[in-house]
Amino acid sequence: MWGSQVDGKKLTFHLAGINNQNFIMRDEETGSWWQQVTGEAIQGPLKGRQLAPVFSDEVTFAVWKREHPRGRVLRPDDRVARQYEPADWEVRYARLPVVTPADPADKFPPRTLMAGITINGKAMAYPVADLQKQRLILDMIGDMPILIVLGDDNKSVRAFERKPDGRTLEFFVKPETVPLQLVDAETGTTWDFSGKAVTGPLAGKRLRKVAVLKDYWFDWKIYHPDTGAYTLGSRLN
Amino acid sequence: MKIFSAPDTSVDSEGRRAKRGHARAGWLSLLLVVVATVGIVAIPVFVIMPFKAQTASGVAWSYLLRRWSPLATVAGSVLAMALCIRLWHGARWWSRLALFVSLVPVLAATWFARQNHFEWMFNPLPNAAYAGVGEAGFVADNEMVMAVESNGEAVAYPIRQMAYHHVVQDVVGGAPITATY
Repeated sequence: MWGSQVDGKKLTFHLAGINNQNFIMRDEETGSWWQQVTGEAIQGPLKGRQLAPVFSDEVTFAVWKREHPRGRVLRPDDRVARQYEPADWEVRYARLPVVTPADPADKFPPRTLMAGITINGKAMAYPVADLQKQRLILDMIGDMPILIVLGDDNKSVRAFERKPDGRTLEFFVKPETVPLQLVDAETGTTWDFSGKAVTGPLAGKRLRKVAVLKDYWFDWKIYHPDTGAYTLGSRLN
Repeated sequence: MKIFSAPDTSVDSEGRRAKRGHARAGWLSLLLVVVATVGIVAIPVFVIMPFKAQTASGVAWSYLLRRWSPLATVAGSVLAMALCIRLWHGARWWSRLALFVSLVPVLAATWFARQNHFEWMFNPLPNAAYAGVGEAGFVADNEMVMAVESNGEAVAYPIRQMAYHHVVQDVVGGAPITATY
């Protein structure tokens, strides 16, 4: 998700090609080519320029509409709706071939689904399967304490800085609550899945959201060659 | 085999040979123009194809070819037509047919250089329409959406739509954004 403006000029983007399974966009105004995953112009007059990232998260429709009952939803285009992916597309995609060279010594198979996070240039990948096992991961990326949590739909992944007001908090999942709730050990405040403190001493505060990119391991590594990867119990940096 | 029978021994055989040489050069040039014009368009199609690995230089070359192919193919067409006109005079009917046929790939390439074939595969969505939560029966509860929120305005882009269109332009909370997937 990107801001459409560069130097105050609005660009109009089109699909224009594929580079190692990530698409290339072309802007109508200058004809430059942009890599979708990085937002960087890779060819043309604007080569080297960077689009401003716009925060977005990827959650199920159920979670989103609970949080935004007055929001708007992109309608399908009836002319091409038959060509949309079937509802089980995630399963099918996981079986597609990988074309970039695979490293036999790699810790994960290429199509391991990761929740990828970058903070201050430091990248970390968290296997979604691990989140499905333990729901909540507390970690540090650089010197930023973060939490990664899987929603009660077992699909939506969100990450937050767990340092409201400069104080690092430890969190745990409140057992058997739907919607999911988190509690911090320091103040006993209850937090919801959107990062808002609902009840307790910190009520009304919000945890700052951290962008999560769900991506396959092979693709994440191409664009984050120095990434660390989390495995249950231990970390590989 | 009448054509190859009697060797020409008339006085103007020298002139004819020169003429034939010119014609051969003309045909060769035409072949070159056809191959170059088609190549300029075909090479990037093959280099930036889905489901194969690309290199940085492959992408750079593809950009260059895509950038210049609209102009280069017009030049190729003009050249090819000029050569055809020159070769037309004095050519037999089958040669004339060949000249005609040679223009087909050149003109096709010139047309293709002005197309975005990726948007044939994945139709763009220039006039995206939206529904309120209550009318959004087209998206199931367990389907993933990309969600954006800006200045109090919240928008969801269902992944199934995004995985097809790939690019959607929008204005959210007053800011122009490009949703990509």
